Amino acid sequence: MNAIEIRNLTKFYGKSRGVIDVNLEVKEGEIFGFIGPNGAGKSTTIRTLLAFIYPTKGSASIFGMDCIKDSAKIKMDVGYLPSEVNYYDDMKVKDLLFYSAKFYKKDCTKRINELCDIFELDLNRKIEALSYGNRKKVAVVQALLHEPKLLILDEPTGGLDPLMQNRFFEVLEQENKKGTTIFFSSHILSEVQRICDRVAIIKEGRILKVEQINTLRTTRYKKIVIEFKNAGEVNAFDMPGITKVEKKNNHVEFLYAGDINTILRKLAQMNISNLLIEEPSLEEIFIHYYDKGDE
Amino acid sequence: MVMASEMIIFIRELKRNRKSFIIWTASLVLFNIMIMSLFPSIADNTKMYDEMIKEFPKGIIEVFGLDKISMFTILGFFGTESYLFITLFGSIYAMLLGASILSKEESEKTIEFLLAKPVTRSTIVTAKAANVFFYITLFNLIFSFTNYLMFEAVKKEEYSLKALLMLSAGPWLLHLTFAAIGLLISVFVVKAKSVYPVSIGFVLVMYFINVMSSISEKLTNLKYFTPFKYVDAPDIIINEKIEPIYLIIMLIIITVSIAATYVLYNRKNM
Repeated sequence: MNAIEIRNLTKFYGKSRGVIDVNLEVKEGEIFGFIGPNGAGKSTTIRTLLAFIYPTKGSASIFGMDCIKDSAKIKMDVGYLPSEVNYYDDMKVKDLLFYSAKFYKKDCTKRINELCDIFELDLNRKIEALSYGNRKKVAVVQALLHEPKLLILDEPTGGLDPLMQNRFFEVLEQENKKGTTIFFSSHILSEVQRICDRVAIIKEGRILKVEQINTLRTTRYKKIVIEFKNAGEVNAFDMPGITKVEKKNNHVEFLYAGDINTILRKLAQMNISNLLIEEPSLEEIFIHYYDKGDE
Repeated sequence: MVMASEMIIFIRELKRNRKSFIIWTASLVLFNIMIMSLFPSIADNTKMYDEMIKEFPKGIIEVFGLDKISMFTILGFFGTESYLFITLFGSIYAMLLGASILSKEESEKTIEFLLAKPVTRSTIVTAKAANVFFYITLFNLIFSFTNYLMFEAVKKEEYSLKALLMLSAGPWLLHLTFAAIGLLISVFVVKAKSVYPVSIGFVLVMYFINVMSSISEKLTNLKYFTPFKYVDAPDIIINEKIEPIYLIIMLIIITVSIAATYVLYNRKNM
């Protein structure tokens, strides 16, 4: 059974576009990345999954149950981490967490304490008085405290410092080992790259591609950076199969999608001072997909 | 402890709305005690005040119902003085409570937190509407009980307990009517800065319509459009009952408003 299934989902807010014809399947136990720039439709998709908003067309299901009809039942097993954290201004951290826990009809005290230790969260502070990052930590604990089978994370790391981000990813990996499915929405590709098995790329409301993170990274593309001894060769440099060319002084970098031997033979004839051949970052591939989408 | 989601939200709202409840209840109860404690001195100087009232413009006399009832009986005194405050200010409290209880979650964006929990939207409406009912009822019970004690303390002669009971039930029904309308309006008016002017404005307009319908013969049919008229003190004191037609109208407004709130709240994109 799939943890999440989205079928032909379309959402318009009046005339403005939310998402168009989105189809996605997230398998149980998977960490699924959902990337795209701001305004691409990531939050719209998530908000439909959680029945905050209703689809214009199409449908979605979680664990085989309809997202709209069975919404309350589904949420028993779902933890949601919003991108913007807004909590009741009269509550302390512990008030909010225990209020949240009550809805799941089980004792979450132990888990709350564990998580607050991991994220160094003071239970007795007023939420209103917390910094942005600390408020995000409250949201993280709130999403995890009932040990949900599906975690829906919308831009989860915003506001967390690198140390806390690391702990957060460690916790996610532990949860995933226990069988938790994770739907990870982000515009920061390095974090998706770090943790996800598969990734869907969304642009202007449409899904461009769904790929294994490995294939996405290793297909054809190599990122190549060359430093020439003299600047004249930089301007002259060109060959089939290169994209995203950036030339600066005696320095050129690009993505290469051809036979690696061809380019090595060509480079051998040139006067080079430094050479770097590496896996392109997801970011670079991603931008490449975007350009193709534009064509 | 395992409890129903309705109960969890209800208890949360109990805490959240406690402060405003205490402030409104204390203010109106104290105000009523102050006004009612003036009754003995007024009843002792009937002649002087009677002369004074005769000098009032006709409109004022009609608005306060002094053409129908005498302010020198304790029921008449309450009906023309305190009753204005318990109906008008009580309605503002009820309307604000009803109009903010759902919309506050949206204006403060906490609705995402609540909707991410295993609760239906109907559960949210049920818990919150029940909380509004609870606080308005408690508010009226406390007010009416202290008012009864004041009646006993300052009365000069016996009065109709039935009329007092009706004068206590009237504001309660009036408040519930405004609260139900507030609940419905808050499905559309969400922003905190709009909820207050809309709620207070609505109550004041209704009160104004009531005033107009009592001073102008031509506008007398407006009385069906303002809940204030449904529980008009002089009519209740004279007839010792709330007119069945008005009772029915109030029950219909309450039922329709709440039913519409359930339907619309369930359909709403948050």
